[in-house]
Amino acid sequence: MKNKKVKWIAWLIMAIVLLGSVYFIIGIKKHARMETNLDEYMPKNHPAFVYSDIAEEWFNIKDGILIAIENKDGIYNTTSLQKIKDITKELERMEAFDENDIMSLYTADNITGSEYGMEVESFYRSVPDNYEKIENLRRNVKNNDMVYGRLISEDETVALIVAGMADSTFTQSLYQKIIDFTMSFESDDDVIYVAGRPIVEGTLGLLGPADMKRMVPIVIILIIIVLYILLQSVRATTATILTVFLSSIWTFGLMAHLNIPIYSVSTMIPVMLIAIGVAYGIYFYNNLIHFFQQNPEETRLEAIMYSTKKLFKPLSMAAFTTIIGFLSLLTSQVYPIKYFGLFTAFGILVAFLLTMLLIPAFTLLVGFRLRNKKVPDVDIDEAKKNRITDLLLKNSKPVYLGFGLIILISIIGLTRIWINSSFLDKFASDSDIVLTDAFVNSKFGGTSTLNVILESNKADVFKNPEILKLIDSLQNKTEMLAEVGNSFSLTDYLKRMNKVMNADDISYYKIPETSDLVAQYLLLYEMSGDPENLTKVVNYDYDRINVTFQLKGDDSKTINTAIRSIESFRDDIESHGIEMSYAGSGYKALIFTDLILAGQVSSIILSLILVLILLIVMFRSWKAGLIGSIPIIITAMISFGVMGLLNIPLSTTTALLSSIAIGIGIDYSIHFIQNYKTGIKNFATRHEAIHHTMKQTGKAILFNAIVVITGFMVLLFSVFPPNRTLGALVAMNMFTSFIGTLTIMMILLYKSRVFLMKK
Amino acid sequence: MKKQEIVLGLMVFLIFIGMQNSVAQLSGRQIMEKVYYLPSGDDTQGQLTMILENKQGEQRIRKLNQYIVNMGDTEKKIMFFVSPADVKGTSFMNWSYTGGKEDDQWIYLPALKRTKRISSGSKGDYFMGSDFTYDDLGDRHPDMDNHKLLKEETIDGRPCYVIESTPKDEDYMYSKTITWVMKDNLVGLQREFYDEDGDLLKTLTIHKFEKINGFWTILKTEMKNVQKDHRTIIEFSNVQINQGIPSSKFTERSMSLGQ
Repeated sequence: MKNKKVKWIAWLIMAIVLLGSVYFIIGIKKHARMETNLDEYMPKNHPAFVYSDIAEEWFNIKDGILIAIENKDGIYNTTSLQKIKDITKELERMEAFDENDIMSLYTADNITGSEYGMEVESFYRSVPDNYEKIENLRRNVKNNDMVYGRLISEDETVALIVAGMADSTFTQSLYQKIIDFTMSFESDDDVIYVAGRPIVEGTLGLLGPADMKRMVPIVIILIIIVLYILLQSVRATTATILTVFLSSIWTFGLMAHLNIPIYSVSTMIPVMLIAIGVAYGIYFYNNLIHFFQQNPEETRLEAIMYSTKKLFKPLSMAAFTTIIGFLSLLTSQVYPIKYFGLFTAFGILVAFLLTMLLIPAFTLLVGFRLRNKKVPDVDIDEAKKNRITDLLLKNSKPVYLGFGLIILISIIGLTRIWINSSFLDKFASDSDIVLTDAFVNSKFGGTSTLNVILESNKADVFKNPEILKLIDSLQNKTEMLAEVGNSFSLTDYLKRMNKVMNADDISYYKIPETSDLVAQYLLLYEMSGDPENLTKVVNYDYDRINVTFQLKGDDSKTINTAIRSIESFRDDIESHGIEMSYAGSGYKALIFTDLILAGQVSSIILSLILVLILLIVMFRSWKAGLIGSIPIIITAMISFGVMGLLNIPLSTTTALLSSIAIGIGIDYSIHFIQNYKTGIKNFATRHEAIHHTMKQTGKAILFNAIVVITGFMVLLFSVFPPNRTLGALVAMNMFTSFIGTLTIMMILLYKSRVFLMKK
Repeated sequence: MKKQEIVLGLMVFLIFIGMQNSVAQLSGRQIMEKVYYLPSGDDTQGQLTMILENKQGEQRIRKLNQYIVNMGDTEKKIMFFVSPADVKGTSFMNWSYTGGKEDDQWIYLPALKRTKRISSGSKGDYFMGSDFTYDDLGDRHPDMDNHKLLKEETIDGRPCYVIESTPKDEDYMYSKTITWVMKDNLVGLQREFYDEDGDLLKTLTIHKFEKINGFWTILKTEMKNVQKDHRTIIEFSNVQINQGIPSSKFTERSMSLGQ
């Protein structure tokens, strides 16, 4: 009768889980969407972003796609020049680009002068088709600093086309369209390269998930195999994997139903749930196997009841603490991180509930068979474990010393840790995109840009020669850096016009001497050139200007080097009542990364404190609390330390990985301490209790570590470097959590004589 | 007699109706020809204020003295900047010719104390950073477009013809323009410019016009680029027509004198 009732409940649980899963799968099918627009990740109300967005609007600052055409025999031939024209005109027609913001030799203004006058005209309209015309074009380019080295390489083999995006939404289909379109111009003579931030972001958005799609099934299959080897049961393996799967599906389903898009960091959620969820299943079956080994004659129901009951306390404590740990990410200023914390917490709750309900129901209905009933084997195993435990307990000093040393080395590593906001650095150094970028950088100013915005509250300030000269020297000094290619601002127009209006005399290639002359040159430019160009460098009131620096890289070191040089002019500039700020996507990415990391560090500290308090309260012992937090601290320290020592920069994903340290660390220590605590009640000595805990919990921890480590080691074979780093760091975090718990924490727990009073 | 009067009255009425009809039956092309051949003075002078306003609402205001003389096949125009102060004395001279010859243009920069020739660029270039192209400022010959009378419409209480003009040259910068021409004086009141894709690009509105010295003269006009959210307002004041301007006004020497 009781059996029947329980079975009925088990069916009910199965049905509810099934219904829930259907509901969430429908949600995913209907509403799930990836957020690929990186601007959506940025906190919109942060002052630096607000300012940058406004400045981008003022000066029409956009991320550009760079298309380079290389002809080893020289770019000055009819075919290549025709291609420059065709690509330019085609891009102007494309909806995705701002038709007024396509720069190439075809669209560039050639400001020329003679004793006779000044002319602003295009370099060519119809493609020059004879030697004379081509030579003339070559001479014109060489004489124009605004084009030579910027749109045509100095060795005259490469031409550049820069196309500003009409808006920031960059889809994968557009990416494919651009690649297909540009590559259709490639021939034996002309090699086409496509670079620029949108392309890097686009490739990243394409390559990362594509690689994950390939690697994840292998990771899962490997986890299943290893799990099966360890648990020796198809059914147990199925139930455990089901728990992990369903918790991920429910989490993403909830996200979809709440209409929250999947951000790139959200892809880390299943990683967390695998690492933590697999452990939950292992604990359950570990208890079940243990019960069967001790009471081979008992019924399945009894065994399930025992396991569930025994697991409830430590698992609920562990799950609750982990959830609190992840919820601490809600303090982050960055929404994708907030969501990551919130939904990982939800996923863990689901994993916990499924372990407590679905696994028992599944085991009851589907059954469980203990493969290996041979007790002697287990005894040898246990004897071995006892020996290791005793060895560790006897050699506590070397263990402390060893960990002390490791922590010390980690601290050295911690001081070397650096942040990288680069997208390009995420690619392998021999990948196409990196090579293309390096190529374009070697021929031209740079593929990345940094905008410096100068602002005054006095109109016409930027017609003052004194201030223009200061800006010119700011540009010149910063251009000297190896990391900076060239720069562009109002000063370049004025210098060029001054030279041209003085019979092309090079000694006039400087800022005009009076503000009246500056004003008159600008008026002249408006009358004869394309005044649209000026709006990109100065506003109508001449109290705001934009200086663009071309950088050789998009990484934080390069941007910071340029910023340091620019900052050395700050006092001088501010003494004229001019404010200096930065803008552009590279700068935003830099600020964004800083923000993420600052948030990450503070939320790690917060979660450590919360976890410590929870541990102290749960075990009703401050000693146990402190000891219990050791694996977390060790894992986090080593994780960051190794990154510093191996020169792995912190990025959004690598920083988030430290949460794994907390999730896994808590889990291990709570199970271990709880089991030890009950062991002390049940066994005569704490020595026996620690042996028992090592045998039982130690084994579960070992199994969990082996499963997850083997699974994630697969990612080391990924073609996408960030995924390789991810695999290595997850494996390492699992390993250090495991070692930390079973060595130093175990020893300290034993030596501290904690819980003994209550006996 | 009574009968005769009635017949006469009826005839007058019928003629009146007929006239109305004949005016209504004017083709789009005929209307545009009438607009084109509307008499204008041989010379015009006055002060011009040009206001450029970008989408941020920032304004650039320039005041110039302008002199134009029409010498049959040549139109000469000279402008002297009055303000802003840092460009005061800068002058700009343009000679345009009928018959396809490129314009000649000069500029005098007082800070450089030199007169320079500048390239005239194409008719599609924007004039002085404004929303007017050189072509928009000049008169476009009706032969260059196909015209269609779309409808008649009353704008601000003024009955207008609405004419669609499609350029015969397919590469022209506008795919079409729609013009509202006032019925009573055949002066254009409003014009819409459509870009190559057929989307509305700019709207030209005449805010103020007066008959000066017997000639209809536009005194305030606004061109708004709806795609860029940028606009240009041009106002004329102290306009004098056919008062005679000495030809020495249109010389390089006159430019360097700054007036």
